Amino acid sequence: MDTLTVLFRLAWRNLWRNRRRTIIMLGAICLGVWAMVFLTALTRGMVDDMIEDGISALPGYVQAHHPDYRDDPSVSNLLPQSASAIDETLAGSALRSWAARVRVPAMVSSERETRGVQLIGLVPARERDLIFLDYEAVEGRFLEGPEDGGIVLGRKLAETLETGLGKRVVVMSQTPGNDIADRGFRVVGLFDAELEAYEEAYAFTGRTTLQNLLGIGDRVSEVVVGGDDYRDVDAEFAELAGLMGDGVEVKRWMDLDSYLGAMLDVMDGFLLVWVVVIFLALSFGLVNTLVMAVFERVREIGLMLALGMKPISVLGQILIESMLLLAMGLALGNGLAWLTIHPLESGIDLSIVGEGMEMYGAASTLYPKLTAHDVLLANVVVLALGFLASLSPAWRASRYDPVEAITRVDG
Amino acid sequence: MGLTLRLAWRNLWRQPRRTWLTTSAMVFSNVLLIFLISLQFGMYGMMIDNTLSLMTGHLQVQAPGYREAQKMRQVVPDAGEMAATLRAELGSERIAARASAFVLASSEDRTQGVQLLGVEPDFEPRVSTLPGLVREGRYLADPQAQEIVVGRVLARNLRVGIGDELTILGSGRDGSFAAAILVVVGIFDSGVSDLDRSIAMTSLGAFQEAFAMQGAGHQVVISATQLAEVPALKAAVEARLPPGEGLVVHDWDTLQAGLRQMIQADISSAFFMYAVLVVLVAFSVLNTQLMSVLERTREFGIVLALGLRPGRLGRLVLLETALMGIMGAVLGILAGVLVTAWFSKHGLSYPGLEELAASFNLPGRMYPRLTLWSVLTGPLVVLVFTLLAAVYPALRLRRLEPVEAMRAA
Amino acid sequence: MSTVRCVDLCKTYLQGDREIKALDHVSIEIDEGGFVCLSAPSGGGKTTLLNAIGGLDRPDSGEVWLAGERIDTLSKGELADLRLHRIGFVFQAYNLIPVLSARENVEFVMQLQGVPASDRRARSLDILAEVGLEGLENRRPAEMSGGQQQRVAVARAIVSRPALVLADEPTANLDSKSADSLMGLFTSLNRRHNTTFIMATHDERVMAYARRRVHMLDGRIVEDRLQDGR
Repeated sequence: MDTLTVLFRLAWRNLWRNRRRTIIMLGAICLGVWAMVFLTALTRGMVDDMIEDGISALPGYVQAHHPDYRDDPSVSNLLPQSASAIDETLAGSALRSWAARVRVPAMVSSERETRGVQLIGLVPARERDLIFLDYEAVEGRFLEGPEDGGIVLGRKLAETLETGLGKRVVVMSQTPGNDIADRGFRVVGLFDAELEAYEEAYAFTGRTTLQNLLGIGDRVSEVVVGGDDYRDVDAEFAELAGLMGDGVEVKRWMDLDSYLGAMLDVMDGFLLVWVVVIFLALSFGLVNTLVMAVFERVREIGLMLALGMKPISVLGQILIESMLLLAMGLALGNGLAWLTIHPLESGIDLSIVGEGMEMYGAASTLYPKLTAHDVLLANVVVLALGFLASLSPAWRASRYDPVEAITRVDG
Repeated sequence: MGLTLRLAWRNLWRQPRRTWLTTSAMVFSNVLLIFLISLQFGMYGMMIDNTLSLMTGHLQVQAPGYREAQKMRQVVPDAGEMAATLRAELGSERIAARASAFVLASSEDRTQGVQLLGVEPDFEPRVSTLPGLVREGRYLADPQAQEIVVGRVLARNLRVGIGDELTILGSGRDGSFAAAILVVVGIFDSGVSDLDRSIAMTSLGAFQEAFAMQGAGHQVVISATQLAEVPALKAAVEARLPPGEGLVVHDWDTLQAGLRQMIQADISSAFFMYAVLVVLVAFSVLNTQLMSVLERTREFGIVLALGLRPGRLGRLVLLETALMGIMGAVLGILAGVLVTAWFSKHGLSYPGLEELAASFNLPGRMYPRLTLWSVLTGPLVVLVFTLLAAVYPALRLRRLEPVEAMRAA
Repeated sequence: MSTVRCVDLCKTYLQGDREIKALDHVSIEIDEGGFVCLSAPSGGGKTTLLNAIGGLDRPDSGEVWLAGERIDTLSKGELADLRLHRIGFVFQAYNLIPVLSARENVEFVMQLQGVPASDRRARSLDILAEVGLEGLENRRPAEMSGGQQQRVAVARAIVSRPALVLADEPTANLDSKSADSLMGLFTSLNRRHNTTFIMATHDERVMAYARRRVHMLDGRIVEDRLQDGR
C-alpha cells in the first residue's frame, strides 16, 4: 500500500517535470477523446432517431402477420383470428403496448390527382405509443375511434393531391374477391412527419370503417407490439409468438427491415473502429512521450533499483504515469465533449442536406445523444489500449541494470 | 545547404526510436487517409453511376414544377418530337421521352397501385438500365405497343406472368377517367425492391392514347457518357428548347438532390474525421520537435557562441521536420497505395454492409478507386501540418541566449 | 564475527575489444563495526568490489557472504530485498530522486520497506536532524548544495539502521569543508550505531578517516593495513 502511494507520488510529480510535453500530450489526448465522444454522440443520435422512426413506421418492435403477408402485403393475407379475439388475448397478456390493425395498399384520388398509399385502419386509443406521429400535433384532428369515417393524410400527400382539410377524397382498394371497393372519405386531419416519405406513404382511418369498406368482417392484417428497449425485443417476441400460435408469422423489427437491423450493427462496428483508429493515432505520441521520459530518467531508475525497489514497482511507476496522463486527458476530453454536445442537444439543423439525410432514412434535425454506454466504451478502449501501449517502455525501464544505469555518463 | 542537410539528417538518427515513432504516426495517418479517400470517392462514383443509370439520367427536360409535384397536367408538349430533334441536333442516341402516371393495375385476382411509365422502346435502353434487366419475356416491341413490362415483385403480387392482361385505371391529363388493357410481355428484376415493386412500363404511344396526352410527355431524359460533360450538354439542350413553353432542364444533382446531399453529408463527416487525424499527427510532431530542441539547448548554446546565427538553427529544426515529414509521406504513400490497390482488386466487405449498400444501389463489396488525387491529398495535408507544428519549436530558438543555453543541463 | 566475507572473487569486463580484470581472485573479510576504505586508481576494481558486496553486481566466480548468508547466488528479487533491508548506499552523484523532497527521499526506502507512516515521519525528521539538515526537510534536491544532497543520501542510507553502509566516492563532488564534515558524520554514526562502513575512494581526505585501508591495483588487493582513523 505504501509502495503504491510512493509510486503514485513519483508518477504524478514526474509527469509535471516536463510540463510542456505533458500539456501537449494532454491536448492531443483531450482532442482525440473529444473527437471520439463527439462523433459517437452525433452518430448515435442519428442512428437512434433513424431506428426509432423506422420502427415506429414499421411499426413496433415485433409484428405478427399471415405467413404470406410479407411477400404479398394485400388484403388476401389476413391473420386467421378475429380482431376481437386478438384484442381479448393480448389484453390478458404481459405485453404493455400492442395494437391490431388493417393495412392495405390503396389509391387515394382527389378531383385532380391520384396517388398510391398504405391505408391503415386502426384503433386510435391503442396506437398512441406505437405510431410515428403525435395525435395532438395533427392539424385538424386525429381519428376518434375505430368507427371514425374520416381519413388522415400526410401534408405532402395532401399538397400533391391538391386537397385539404374538410375536402373529400376517393379511396380505392382491392377486396378479397378482387373487386375494387371505393368510398369517399372526408379529410379530417393532416400530419407532419420527420421524414417526408412518410407523409406520402401513409394514410389512416378507423379500423372498423376500413374493415367494412373491404368487406373482411372483423379480420386484421397485423398485430404490432412495442417495448422499452429496441435493442432487446426477445421478451416481447417470445410472448407474442406464444400467444399467436401456429400459422402466424411473428418477426422482430430487425428481421423485418434488414436495412435498419444492419444499420445498428454497422454503426456499432464503425464507432468501435473509429475509437480504435483515433487511439492508434494517439498511441504514437503516447509511446514516444513515455520512451523519452524513461530515457531521461535512466539514472534515477537505476538509483531506485539499486536502493532495492523491485523491478515490478518501476514497471508500475511508468504504467501509473501513463494511466494518470490518459485519465487526465480522458477527463478533459469527456468534459469538452459534454460542453460541446450539451448545447446541441436541442437539435442540429441539417436541412441543407435534408434530402440526403432522408436517403439514409434520417431526419433533417440531428439530436446528438450522449449515452453512458458509448462514453464508457471510448474511455475503456483508451485506458485498456493505453495500458498495452505503455507496457513496452515500462518493461524496458524495469529491466535496466542498476549498475549500468547509475553509472551512465550522459543521459 | 549540403552541410545543413547532412546535419539535419544525422540529428534525426540520434534518437532513432523517437524518429521512427513520429514517422510511424504520419505513415499510419497517410495510409488511412489514402485508403479512406479512395474508398469514399470510389463509392460516390459508383453510387452516382448506379443511381442515375437506373432511370434518372443526367439531365431531364420537364415542365416547371413537375419535379416537385409530378402532376399529370405538367407536361412537355410533343415530347417524342422534341426527343427526336434533340437526338438529331446533338448527334446522340442517349435521349428519350417519357410520360408517367400513378395508376391502379388490376390482374384477374389482384389490384395494386403502380407508377406507369410511357417510354420510347427504341431509345429507353440508351438512357436506363431497366430495359436491360428484363429477366423473363422481352422488352416493349414498338412505340405504339399495347404491352406492359413490370417489376418482379409487382408481377408476383399481381399474380401475373407473360401473356396475362393487366387493366390500368387512372386519370388522364385533363382529369378524365383513363383506362387501358395491356399485355404483360416482360418482367424485370433490378434488385432494388422499391422499383421492382412499383414500376411498370408501356409504350409512349399506348400511354398517350390512354391518358389523353395529345402527344405530350412528362420528361425528356438525356444521358451523358461522363459526369464532366453534363454542364456543356445542359447548355446545349437549353439552347434548343422551344421558346415560350417555359420548359426547364434539370441536371442530376437537382433530380436526385438527396444523392448529392447525402454525398455532401458524408464528405463533411469524413472531413471531420480526417481533420482530427491530421491534427493528432501534428501534436505528435510538435511534441517530438519540442523535445529534440529542449534536450539540445546546451549544444545549441555552443554553436551560437561559436557565431552561428539563430535563424539558421531555426531552419535546421524545420529541415529536420521536413525530412521526417517527407519520409512519412513517401512511406505512407507506398504503404497506402499497396493496401488500397489490394482492396481495389479484392474488394472490401463488412458484416451488414451488404444490406446497407443495397439501399444505395451499391454492391455488397466495395472497391476503393485509386487516383492521383486520392493518393496525394492526404499525405500533402499531413506534410503541411507537420511543418506548421515545427514552427513553434523553431521560433523558440530565436530567443536562445548562448551563455544561458550552455549552462542548461 | 565478520559482516562481509568475499572468497576468491573474479570479474572480467569487456571494454571495446580489451578484457579488463576488475576483480582478480579477491578475498577479504570485514568485521562488524568496521570503518574501511577501499582505494585504487581509476579502474582498479574498487567499485566492482563494492557492487559485489552490495548485491548490485554478481561476480563471475567466487563467493560473497553477508552476515553468514551467501548472496552471490540469490535471485534478482532476493537481492533487491537484501539491498532494501540490510544495506545503505551512498553514491557519488545522482543520489537522490529529483521529484522528491529531502524528507521524502529519506522516507522512500522506508516506504518500500512498509514502515507505517507516522513512524516514518518521525524517524526521517530525527535522522535529518542528526545529519544536520534541520529546516531543510522540504527542499527538493535541486534546491540544495552538493554537501547537503550527500547528507540527505547518508540520512537515507542509515535511516533504517542497516548493518552495512556502502559509499562509492561519497566526497567526489564536494569541497574540502563539506567532505570533512561528511566524514565526521560517517565516523560518528559508525561509533554510535556500530554500523559497518565500506567506502570506495581515491580521496586522501577520506582515507585519513579510515581505520582500515585496503588498496587495490588491477583487480587485486595489494595492501591491507590497519591505522588509527581520525
